[in-house]
Order: sequence, then C-alpha cells, then structure tokens
Amino acid sequence: MNAGRRMGPSYASSEGAASVRATLRALRDSGVAPSGAAAPLEVQPRSDEPPRLEAAVPIEGERIAVRTIPEPPVAGVAAFLDGIQRSQVVAHVDGVPLVHGAVAAAIRLRVDRRLRTWDAPRLRRALFAPLALLPTSLAEALRARVQVHDLGEVPSRHPQEITARALTAVQRAREAAEGELVSAWTARGAGTLVVDGGIAGHADGARHDGVIGVVKSHRTLYTGEDALPLLLGLREGERSTAVRVTSPRRHPVASWYLRLRDPAGRSPLFGLVRVEVSPETRDLTARADLVSRWLLAERAPVALPDQRWDVMVYGIRDCEQYLTAILA
Amino acid sequence: MTTPILGRVVATERRPNTPHEFHFWTALDAPIGIGTIVRVESARPIAGVLPTIYGVVTEGFGYTDLQTPLHDVLGADGEPAGSAFAPTERTEIRLYTAAVLRHVPEEPLQPVPMGTVHLATEADVHAALRMDSYVGGSAARGIPVGLYRAGGTEAAVHLDADFLLGPEAAHLSISGVSGLATKTSAVEWLLGSIFAHFPASKGRVAAVCFNVKGPDLCFLDQPATSLTEEDRAIYARLGVPAAPFANVHYFAPWSAKGGQLATLRSNEALQHNVTPLTWGLRETLQYAEVLLNKDDVDAKADALIDFIKERVLDQVFSDPALERAHEVRSFSDLEQWFRELLRGLEARNSDVWRTHHIATIRKVRNRLTNISTRCKGLVTDDGMVSDLPFGSMQDRAVYVVDVANLEEDAQDLVFARIVSQLREHLEKRQLGVEQVIVFVDELNKYAPADGPDTYVRKMLLDIAERGRYLGLVLFGAQQFRSQVHRRVVGNSGSTLYGRMDPDELATPGYQTLAPATKARLATLEKGQLMVRHPHFGQPIFVRFPRPAVLTGREGVERFPQAEEMALDAAITRALRRLDPTISLGWVQDALALAGEDEDGILRARNRTLQARPDDVKAFFKAQLRKRATPEVAARRGPTPLRVPASDDPYG
Repeated sequence: MNAGRRMGPSYASSEGAASVRATLRALRDSGVAPSGAAAPLEVQPRSDEPPRLEAAVPIEGERIAVRTIPEPPVAGVAAFLDGIQRSQVVAHVDGVPLVHGAVAAAIRLRVDRRLRTWDAPRLRRALFAPLALLPTSLAEALRARVQVHDLGEVPSRHPQEITARALTAVQRAREAAEGELVSAWTARGAGTLVVDGGIAGHADGARHDGVIGVVKSHRTLYTGEDALPLLLGLREGERSTAVRVTSPRRHPVASWYLRLRDPAGRSPLFGLVRVEVSPETRDLTARADLVSRWLLAERAPVALPDQRWDVMVYGIRDCEQYLTAILA
Repeated sequence: MTTPILGRVVATERRPNTPHEFHFWTALDAPIGIGTIVRVESARPIAGVLPTIYGVVTEGFGYTDLQTPLHDVLGADGEPAGSAFAPTERTEIRLYTAAVLRHVPEEPLQPVPMGTVHLATEADVHAALRMDSYVGGSAARGIPVGLYRAGGTEAAVHLDADFLLGPEAAHLSISGVSGLATKTSAVEWLLGSIFAHFPASKGRVAAVCFNVKGPDLCFLDQPATSLTEEDRAIYARLGVPAAPFANVHYFAPWSAKGGQLATLRSNEALQHNVTPLTWGLRETLQYAEVLLNKDDVDAKADALIDFIKERVLDQVFSDPALERAHEVRSFSDLEQWFRELLRGLEARNSDVWRTHHIATIRKVRNRLTNISTRCKGLVTDDGMVSDLPFGSMQDRAVYVVDVANLEEDAQDLVFARIVSQLREHLEKRQLGVEQVIVFVDELNKYAPADGPDTYVRKMLLDIAERGRYLGLVLFGAQQFRSQVHRRVVGNSGSTLYGRMDPDELATPGYQTLAPATKARLATLEKGQLMVRHPHFGQPIFVRFPRPAVLTGREGVERFPQAEEMALDAAITRALRRLDPTISLGWVQDALALAGEDEDGILRARNRTLQARPDDVKAFFKAQLRKRATPEVAARRGPTPLRVPASDDPYG
C-alpha cells in the first residue's frame, strides 16, 4: 500500500478562488452588508416547465416495444460522474441580489470494488451578479478580491429575475465542469463511465461508446400517447426499445427506458430511468441489453437514504457524497 | 522524520479532540490496531514550534454510509447472499480514537491539532514513552519488559528501574487469568531482565519467590526446552540472556513424615541447591499472631505469650512453682515447662500464677504446643533451625521458598516471618543485598480487598506503602486485581496485565480503559502483556518471550518427584549430599543404634545437614547417641532482652 499516495489530497484547494467566506469578507470590506443566512437557491420554489410527452423516433424496430433483458445483470461500469451546485444570495446592493455560486464535478473510478476519485475534481466558486447594475467602484473592488461572473444584461431589476439568471449561470457552470470531465474521460479514461443525467449536452460524451447517461427525472417522457402504457408498464428488468432523442442545441443520442426496481404498489415512475448512449453503435439492441444489464447490476448497494434511491445507482450517490464533502 | 502518512486527525463538535484524546481516520488497509502507537504532525506552529503528539490507539470504529441496516436488507432483497453481487462496496471508514502519550513540546498543553498521522518509529516509541530519559546514556537504568510491535515497527520497551525497584516508586502488580502462562512466566522473564540490566551502581539485587502452588517455580535453574527462534530473537533484541537463572536456592519444609522435603523439586538430581526450611520455637513464637486468631488470643492470653517470649524463652527460668530450672528452646521444652508449671499449680491448689489464671495457661499451652502439629515439617519440636541466608544473600540470586505443600496457616507463617526478616535486615542494611524482590502469587488470598485484617495483610500493606524506601519490593500476582486490597495494588508503581477475565474487566477498577482495550485484554495471546508504568501516559501492549527456564509441567515430567522412601533410604539420600561414600548399609547399621526412635533419627539427620561436618559419619552417629538437645539454637545465642523494671508485674 502506498499510504502517502492514497492519503494525499485528491483535489487542488486553490481551485475556486471565491469561497463564501472570502466573498463575504470582500463585500464587507467594500461597505456592503451581507445578507443573513439564506436557503440555497436550489431548494427554493421555482417555476419548472410543465411535464410533457415528446414523441421520439424508434431506432430499434419500427415502434416502441417492451424488451426483457435476456441475461442476468453483470458488472461492467468502470466509473461514475456527477456534479453538484450550491447557490445563495449573500448580499443585496440597491435591491440587486449578489449570488455566491459553487459547483463541483467528479468522476469516481471503481478499483477493487471501491470508489476513488479519478483525475482531479472540478471546483468553481464565483460571485454571480449583473455588474452593470452595481456601482462601478464596488464591481471593481469585488473583481479584485474574488472571482466574479457577470450575468450581463438582465431584462429587469426584479430580484427574482436576477436570482433566476444567477441560478441558470451556476447550473451552466456545473454542466461545464461535468463536460470537462466527460471530455477528459473520453480522452484518457478506460472503460465505461456512467454520467448522472443526460449526455446529449456533452459533445464528446454523446459520441463516445464509453459514456452512458442515466436520467432519473421524467418531466419529459420521450414517447407518444400510444406507447405510454407500455413504457409505464415496464416490469423490473425490462426495457423499452431505443429511440433517437434529438434537441436543437443538443447532440442526438440513443435512449431507452429501463425499470430498475419493481414498481408494484408504487408510482409508475418508480425505479424507471432513461438511458442515453451514443447513437453511433453498430448493434444497438445488443448494446442496449448489455448497458441495461450493467445498470441493473448497479442497483446494489442501494443508494438509500437518498430520496431518489429507486433510480439512483450507488456510484452516483458516492459522487454526490464526495462532492458534498469537498464543497463544504 | 519522514514516514508515510497513515491517517488524518479529525475533530467534530460532537467528537472533539482534547489534550488527552484525539481521533483520526485511515485507509481501510492501514496497519493500525488497538495499542498501536502513532505520531501526529501538525503544520501549525505553536509559539514558533511545530507540535508533535504521540498517542496510542485505544478505540476503533468502522462504519459505512448505510443509514440503517434495513437499507441493506432492501438492497439485497432480503437475501443475504444477494448483497454479494454488488459491484461496489459501500464507502467505509476506519475511525480511531487515540489517547495522548506525550506532547512535544509539553507546554502549552492544548487540544491535539489537526494534522497527519504516522506510524510511530522506534525513536518515536522511545519519545512517546519518555524512555529517552532513562534508556541509554551514562545514567541508563532501563529494564526491558518486552517488545512493542505494530505495523512493522518494533521497539524495546523499558521500565525505569527507579520506578520498578525504587526509590521513586516501586512494586509490580501482575494480573491475569490462570493457566495462560501470564503471571509466572512474566515474572520469570522480568526477573531475568532485571538481573541482566539492573545497574550495578544501584546496588545488589536478589529475589525471594514464594512457590504457593504446583511446580511453577521449581525449575528456575533448568534450561527451557521450548524456546522458539522468535523467543531467542526477542531475548537478543532486549539484551537478556536466554538462559536459566545461574544462582537459585530452594527452601522447603520437611514432609509430615519427615523423610523428605515437601516439594515437587524432590528428584535426586536436583538436590544440590535444596535446603530444608525449619524453624523452632523462638522463630515461631515471634509470629504467633499469624497462627493465633483473635478468638484464640484474648488480652489475657496475649499477656502470657508475651511473658513467655520475654522471660522464659532462650534463658534459664526458675520459679517456685517449677521443680527445676528450665531453659526453653524448643516446643518440647515448652511442653515440659507447661506440664511442670500446671502440675506445680495443682499441687499448690492455686488458680493463679503471676497474675495469669490457670485457665489462660491451659489455653495458651494448648494453642502454642498445637502449632508444631499444625505446621509439621516446618516447625520442629526440637528447636532445629534451617533458614534463608538472611545476612548473606547474594547478588542476582533467586531464593525460592516452596510452601505449596504446607497448610494455609503454615504458609502464612512462612510468608510473614520471611518478609519480616527481610525487612528487618534491610533496615539494618545487613541482608547482603540492597534490593530484594519478593514475589507472591495469589495476592487476593494474602491481601484480600475485604475480609479480616490479618497479620499478613497488614504486613503486605506496610511493604506496599513503605517498602520502597528500604529496597523491599513486592511483585504480587493475582487472578483478580479487584479482589486485592486497593492500597496494595494502588501502591504498585508498575502493573502488568495478561489475558483478563471479562467479568473482572467489568469491575470499576477498569473503568478508565476503553471498551476496545478491554476487549483486547480479554483476548490477549500468551506472551502478550499490557503494561502500565509511571513514565507511560497510557497502557502499552508488549510481547515478551517464553521464560528461559523449564516450565513446571515439563520439569515434573523430566525430573519426576522422588517417591516417599523408607526412613533409612531417606537418611541415606540426605547424608550423601554431604558425603557420597555413605551407603544404605552403613545407614542401616547406624540406625540400629537409635532403635525405634524415628524422631531421634530425623533430629540427627537434621543436625548433621545443618552442621555440615567434615566427618559426616561420625557426627551423625554422635547425634544418634545423644538425646535431643537444642544445639543449634544454643549456638545462635539468646535474644537480648530488656532489663525488667522493678515494678514489672511479671517479675
């Protein structure tokens, strides 16, 4: 055992130069009274898009059908990727909210059945604010002290509009951090990487056989009305046939639904995940079956006590735990 | 010093670090366990100095991110075998609690800071246990007690002679369950270590060991047959010769029949250093209190015993009530004195003699003359004395007193008298050595935590509390430390623990030990000890080798006990030690002189053995012809007595 190597820091603490404490100090020094402790923006009520069905083009047969995974689960995933974000309003200047955002993403590689961090995690911390709405002297003072992300022009000075913009910016920062790691994996990683969420946003990931996206939420179900009962009626260990999912600003992916756990007596979405892989696969059926077997194998250990344990694989929960620890 | 980082110190509000305790985590495969000594390095200087903290692991925790066992049941679908399929093992932690051994620098004493945790090196162990102050250098006084081994580190652990044998502190208490080669083996090993390392500049040292059961200490001069290479390596590492004790002397009373000594070391091949232990009236009466309980000796009886000790014993005593002058030197003499005195009182029809009522006289006669029966083999009727060499004890010698075959009363007498003699001679600086270690097993019997306040217990308390000033050091062993008087164990500067009984560990005396430390104590292997010592901030686990002497069990197999012999054969064997030309035939011819008087024959043998004459045959025959006379006692001279005051009520 090389204890020194194993025990060394797995990320560079200098990354992310705008810790909450440094930001608050910079604000105080600039004459701005910080706000009291506020709940993270991520947990505050927000207006989401309404749930919807979106028809997709079947690419494994002519129509969506149910397919039983032909062979038992088997371990095949090498690593897991997830990202987290934390945002909070730290001060108001003339009613303009200043948001501190922190994002982190990491890949956890499985070695001898234990997870450890692959490469360096990506950490970003910044103050998100519309600099044009702040006094110039304050903007300059803050820029000199902490990393500042300018939200640019905002349609109005409504505080909620600004916080929504900040939240979106933080989210993009997280996606960017995740994207960096996906690219790094496709360049240097060995084996298959499971990404929490879709991979259509990552150009490298959407084209690489070694990257799988697992989507846990289903505000958009990629099926027409006619195939919906089939999809919602999937039994444990069954999958739908694959469809092609496309989006204007995203990369096309092959996707199918997979029932990880028995939904008997529960919501029809219980244990249901949507899997995304590169569409550039020679034998999609074999690929989808194999990936499904890999994901079914990842049901254990169970990701409890996470509320999304029915659809979350343990490796993703481990990523979250790790990121929470280093972002604290 | 650069050593791999093994762990990191952690502290939370719920589990904070303190100046005497800290927590750290390690990788799952880190070579850390209960008892491992670690070094904490902090990167934050205090008063310009980077602090280093040494600690010993006292508790360990392991857990996963599982919130409740039910989650694992769910994950495995209720099938225990199901979880084996999981491709990932849950995140798991090894969290340890360590007790601080030492802060460097010592001041200011602060909570243990965050820092990296390293396995202690040998130099760290020395520093952590403060051995740097007494091991090595010109004033070296370290006594190796064992090897500390953990995570690939091996370090000799030394006790400070000044704190083991005095004068700073003293005494050793050894606890452990029976039958696991802990107590006796540890003492044998430690005595060897003391003899090898006790600095000559601190004087001479000897050991007096009481063998209270079985053959445990009967073969200290015989080499071990079962030393392994590992044992020899430990001996070499600690600088202790892997050899039996070179200078051992055995003392045992005669058997009840008197033919041979009452010891398991009775094989003829081992008789060269076995000496009878016999006492006469004078030696016994000094410690009558040991044998006579309070029911026996009321104030009146006590007064008569005192009178006998001061006015009758070892001197010519005349009284109108007696037909003749008596010189009482033995139990036989005393019995004659009592008989004549009572006869005289009856003749005078008197109930009182010198303020003592005749009933008291009868009672004291009964109790005193009964002693030679109760302690047969040890106490002789004829005043024959064969004793330990008080005054000429030798440096690095072991004196084993085998009382295993004596009745409990007689054991108490032996114990009380020998320890008292040691004390008296040490007080006068006339023992022959400056330090004497007294090893007593079964301390819970001799110095119980509760029960009557016996003479032996009072004496042990006295040694425990004041012995270190004299050089009288108690090494006490017991199965249950909680059952030994707390002032005896409390005054032990050093303590060794072998495998302990879990029930014993549940007693209040062990509350300071962490549960994991107790669990380790309850499962210690042979050859492992937990050591407490004044220099060590916390108990330390060490390994010690098998003693380099023949075990009792092997000894009795290799040197079978001599069978009880006929009187002539026993006499022949005893006298041959002095004169190898003596044959059974010669003895049989000589015994014909004595007729049927067995006691007279045994007396003649005893006197011959004690006198060790040049012409053994002639001396023995001369003794046979004599009526028993207290020759030996006379040679010793009477004990000086106070001049009685004119108003002495006894006068």
